[in-house]
Amino acid sequence: MIMEQPIPIHIKDHINPKHVLMDFIYTILISTLIAAFLTYTGITTKSFIMNLIVSQSFGLSFCSIITFLLWIFNPEKTASLIFIVVIGIASGTLIGLQVGSFVLRQIFSITLGQAEKSLFQVIILAITFGMTATYFFYSRSRLEVSKELIQEERIKRLSSEKEALEANLRLLQAQIEPHFLFNTLSNVLSLIDSNPARGKSMLVDLIHYLRTSLSRTFPDRITLDQELGMIKAYLNIQKIRMGERLRFKIELPDEIRKHPFPPMLLQPLVENALKHGLEPKMEGGEIMVKAMEEDNLIRVEVIDTGLGFGSFEKTGVGLGNVRERIKLLYGEKGRFIVEETNTGGVRAIIEVPKQ
Amino acid sequence: MSYKAVVADDEEELRKYLKSMLSEIWPELIICGEARNGKEALDLVESKRPQIAFLDIRMPGLSGMEVAKRIAGLCRIVFVTAFDQYAIEAFEREAVDYLLKPVSRERLLQTVQRLKNQLEASTDPPARLAEVVEQVLSRLPGKGGADFLRWIRTQHKDSIRLIPVEEVDYFKAEDKYTLVITKEGESLIRKSIKELTQELDPGQFWQIHRGMIVNVCKIDKVSRSLTGRGMLKLKERPEVLTVSRSYLHLFKEM
Repeated sequence: MIMEQPIPIHIKDHINPKHVLMDFIYTILISTLIAAFLTYTGITTKSFIMNLIVSQSFGLSFCSIITFLLWIFNPEKTASLIFIVVIGIASGTLIGLQVGSFVLRQIFSITLGQAEKSLFQVIILAITFGMTATYFFYSRSRLEVSKELIQEERIKRLSSEKEALEANLRLLQAQIEPHFLFNTLSNVLSLIDSNPARGKSMLVDLIHYLRTSLSRTFPDRITLDQELGMIKAYLNIQKIRMGERLRFKIELPDEIRKHPFPPMLLQPLVENALKHGLEPKMEGGEIMVKAMEEDNLIRVEVIDTGLGFGSFEKTGVGLGNVRERIKLLYGEKGRFIVEETNTGGVRAIIEVPKQ
Repeated sequence: MSYKAVVADDEEELRKYLKSMLSEIWPELIICGEARNGKEALDLVESKRPQIAFLDIRMPGLSGMEVAKRIAGLCRIVFVTAFDQYAIEAFEREAVDYLLKPVSRERLLQTVQRLKNQLEASTDPPARLAEVVEQVLSRLPGKGGADFLRWIRTQHKDSIRLIPVEEVDYFKAEDKYTLVITKEGESLIRKSIKELTQELDPGQFWQIHRGMIVNVCKIDKVSRSLTGRGMLKLKERPEVLTVSRSYLHLFKEM
């Protein structure tokens, strides 16, 4: 099964002792076949043994010179590969001729190519057979490479499917923090008596937050507007809980309001900023969520003025999840950076390619 | 006699709620102070000497558990929590008073009844509470057990970047400093290899020679060179790392 488009061949990976040995065994077999063919069709008038010696010396010199050249130059383009094969066959012919005639002279005291015509014939034959045999080797290794590639591709696909599934599962588990839920409900319960209007708006925000986070079991794209709307509902709730201790700001330019964005990617960052940064800080602080457009990417920053992370602090599965999901969704094109601000708080940055 | 109590919770609305319910159920109880964090709760208990303290577990500064540890002998404590599974189990087991948020009227009635009984029978608060708190604190996630280094601070242009240790491919000694090598590049930190070996999780980070620590998760292949040293091929970096002979035993099973 040979693929339609050219496959990049990494020759260096292919040249190892096992492969070279196999190539030499094939060469000897092919040369023997050629000698037999020449003898029994009567193209040459020499005996089988003499044909065998000549064809082996050509075959082995082609094989060793081409292998050597491939190993030295490690060509990656088809053009340079062809160039090496041509050089290999030309010099292989010359060397094979010398070796063959030397051996024949030693054993049978015959000089090859006494007549100009027979020498020419030998060279033509050698080049023809050399080309054919090289083509055979070429397609064989290409077949192997493509098999390997298909295998690799499959493993890659399977493992990324598995990763996506796992990330989804964790997403589901990490969605709603029980502390947050019960504290919010306690607030609503209290506000029903003391300030019904405020209680009502808190409940509306909670419903918005629950609706969006529960319905996003699978990572369909939503818009930045929707995602930040959910973040706003979440922060509104936290604002009622924490009162003066929490201030927040959300910035989203109109031009990127409708830009697609993966759901539940920002939420863990905001939750983290609250849980590790602001909630434990007595005087509280500020959270800022900023989305912006930059060249070919969308950049969203979550900045807090909280306590920051200690070097030994675990931040739960939240941040690791974000990193993994960005990698899964965008590969090398997406980035997740965590920085320390000069007030000691945390700036978490997500960058995704613009679509 | 009438009793005094303090209410500690970082959420104003929840303090109000508990206070209003208490005034309904136990009108004689005097709420002598409210605290917005652990520190304030501690000061209040020490200055006002109430008989009862209602302590939210999660508060900024000192947590309710930490406050309880310090005031255990001074007054009776009722913990208030939204969801602290582990602590609740311990409270159940040891019959420590606690309330779940949102606080229900029925539950608060029960607690109040119990408090009244205890206060009338003997004025001395039980000393056992301190032990229970100690036990819960030591087993809270993130507290007990070994703590390993999780973030590396590196200077990046004019900002300080936090790199999670899982991202690091390897650490390499460079004079007095250490180079941190990740997929994206390298940066210099002040911690020495020796300090790092003590702070990193030894299950995930292995020293492979005197000046190098490698992240095991980032190793692709291990092979042996002709001279008998180990050669590590990494998943994300092109360079091959050498394992010196004295650390080679680490890779015997691989």
